[in-house]
Amino acid sequence: MGKKKRGHPDVEDILARPWCYYCERDFEDLKLLISHQKAKHFKCDRCGKRLNTAGGLSVHMNQVHKESLDKVENALPNRQGLDIEIFGMEGVPEDILQQHNQRIITNFYTAQAERHAVTGNPPPGQSGGQGPAKKIKIETPEEIKKRLAEHRARVAAQKAAGGTSAPLHVPADDQSPGQGASPFPPPQAGFPYPPPGAPGAPPFPAAHAYPPAYPTGPSPPPGAPAAFNLPARPPGGGAPAALPQRPPYMFNGAGAPPPGYPAGASTVDELISSGARHGDDIDHMIRMAEAGIKPAGKPAEDAGGEKKGKKDKDKNTRMVYADNEVSPEEKMALLPRYRFTAVA
Amino acid sequence: MAPSTQFEVAQPPNDAITAIVFAPDFPNRFLVSSWDKNVYLYEVVDGAEQANLIEKFEHRAPVLDVCFGATHEEAFTAGLDHQVSRIDLASGDQSVLSKHEKPVRSVIYSPQHSILVSASWDNTLHIHDTAPNSSHPVLTIPLPNKPHAMAASPSKLVVAMTARLVHIYDLPTLASALASPNPPSTIAPWQQRESSLKFLTRAVSCMPNDAGYATSSIEGRVAVEWFEDTAESQARKYAFKCHRQQDESSGGGDVVYPVNALAFHPVYGTFASGGGDGTVALWDAEAKRRMRQYQKFSDSVAALAFSGHGKYLAVGVCPGFETGMEDYSGEGRAHVLIRELGETEAKGKGSK
Ligand SMILES: [Zn+2]
Ligand SMILES: [Zn+2]
Repeated sequence: MGKKKRGHPDVEDILARPWCYYCERDFEDLKLLISHQKAKHFKCDRCGKRLNTAGGLSVHMNQVHKESLDKVENALPNRQGLDIEIFGMEGVPEDILQQHNQRIITNFYTAQAERHAVTGNPPPGQSGGQGPAKKIKIETPEEIKKRLAEHRARVAAQKAAGGTSAPLHVPADDQSPGQGASPFPPPQAGFPYPPPGAPGAPPFPAAHAYPPAYPTGPSPPPGAPAAFNLPARPPGGGAPAALPQRPPYMFNGAGAPPPGYPAGASTVDELISSGARHGDDIDHMIRMAEAGIKPAGKPAEDAGGEKKGKKDKDKNTRMVYADNEVSPEEKMALLPRYRFTAVA
Repeated sequence: MAPSTQFEVAQPPNDAITAIVFAPDFPNRFLVSSWDKNVYLYEVVDGAEQANLIEKFEHRAPVLDVCFGATHEEAFTAGLDHQVSRIDLASGDQSVLSKHEKPVRSVIYSPQHSILVSASWDNTLHIHDTAPNSSHPVLTIPLPNKPHAMAASPSKLVVAMTARLVHIYDLPTLASALASPNPPSTIAPWQQRESSLKFLTRAVSCMPNDAGYATSSIEGRVAVEWFEDTAESQARKYAFKCHRQQDESSGGGDVVYPVNALAFHPVYGTFASGGGDGTVALWDAEAKRRMRQYQKFSDSVAALAFSGHGKYLAVGVCPGFETGMEDYSGEGRAHVLIRELGETEAKGKGSK
């Protein structure tokens, strides 16, 4: 498929773009993604050296600077972990991949619908003389997921069969009739899209309840930090950002948010701002949840069971020093080795 | 491999370390006190990744704390033998400034007010005028409980005691009481607070800008608070967990280490914490974020100090005393490491 620099790219083109696991930015090609990762996420802030992976940076920090890397820099909250080894697009967990694709599909059709609303042109997928889609059902996230998976499987099968010119678009006998050629139907086709400012257009209340996953206009929604520049895809072209929207469907419905997303956050922007609020280890005020840790009375009691604590399987925490009345120095001062006895 | 910016000091103390302090007016010079009854004077050689032992000063008993006096030629020590001593670092002469009834836990010199404060397990503070030929007698201030940690900012003295008691004294008030011809029998603290931490305090360090202080406890936690007694200032205080490790042997519970040492950076106002887990972390007090965590050391971190210009961080490492260690010994296991900080290594995000 050709790259369409002008006009509006096909959803497949967008889905095919390499993107960064850590910050969700996408790139023209894999080389650019890899150099982005080296510069933004795997760069040593002590000496400027760019490593290939977070693991490589961690080893470098350890050996050269005697520091430990505790998180990936410039990464979205919940993407800062060192446990996942990413190189380019390699290593991105399947569920994250799915979330990313779903987000792109949502944005694509949102933008398309906006264009449609502005220009009056039907979305390309529905231009084949089929008229406006009337019977498009609103799919659940599961259904869309399923269909995406099926589509991918088909493409893979076609590739495997040697079909170099295999059409990326599924035939019309797809299980959702009336969809046109695209395997990814507008997720929100049931919504009316009145031209902005048209009489009877709602004063955008829904936009406040459900901010778009990506800012589609030039200015981000209020509260979105500027530090993370999430790309609007495709560019909004001045389309108003405040059209009524369905909430991003990965958080739609009664199901729990997908792993890696804190409950309650409904957009990437909210994730970012909530992430900015909770600093590394800082919990805001002291909660004493350490059941079973009581101020120890006499040193003799402490000497009892807790010496190595291997038996404390039921406890949440084990304090290596647990006497709340007498300091370690006071105890050391009593040891024969250190005790002071006046000579005079 | 690029050279390391961290090196170990040759000829470290022979036993566990109690304190490290840099000279305020002589940035490469630092003192280390030890359970081996000695105070060690070292000097970092700039650019050589090396620190040399200049002298060691033997005491009658383990030395629980040490501080510089008015110059880099003068030091004060807190002795397990109940004595507060002065060392002339040039001549090696030692003299006793005062005697407590129990071991002396901490000594602090306030260069702004030219007074030395000692805190003892006899539940008193002694305030000393250290000016040569001073005729002012030592002022004794009773405390409600045993002091465990003490630190001074330009105008405040923070004393943390058993039972979560924290007294904050106003240093000008202490200085003028000491100089008064009729010294008061006691001086009330400027503020009395309950510690923000539920467990026994391990360390206190004051912000160099005189705005507040940090405390740490035996229960892997650090609190940061401000002196100003307004609702806004008090609402800013916070505490956080640190120096904990997942305990694989017990199915995911935390092993909680004492936070033995705290030190504010003299220039950037960020601070370092050192724990029984053998790690040192750098924190941005304003942004409430951990900036760095250094590679694990061989043993518990017992003491930390920044040099006066903030270029060096000294880390005292030795076995930590844990519950039930009747046979504890730090012999031969004490190390002092010097880290030369990069330009912005200790710079907080807010101060950029
Ligand atoms: Zn990135
Ligand atoms: Zn480096």
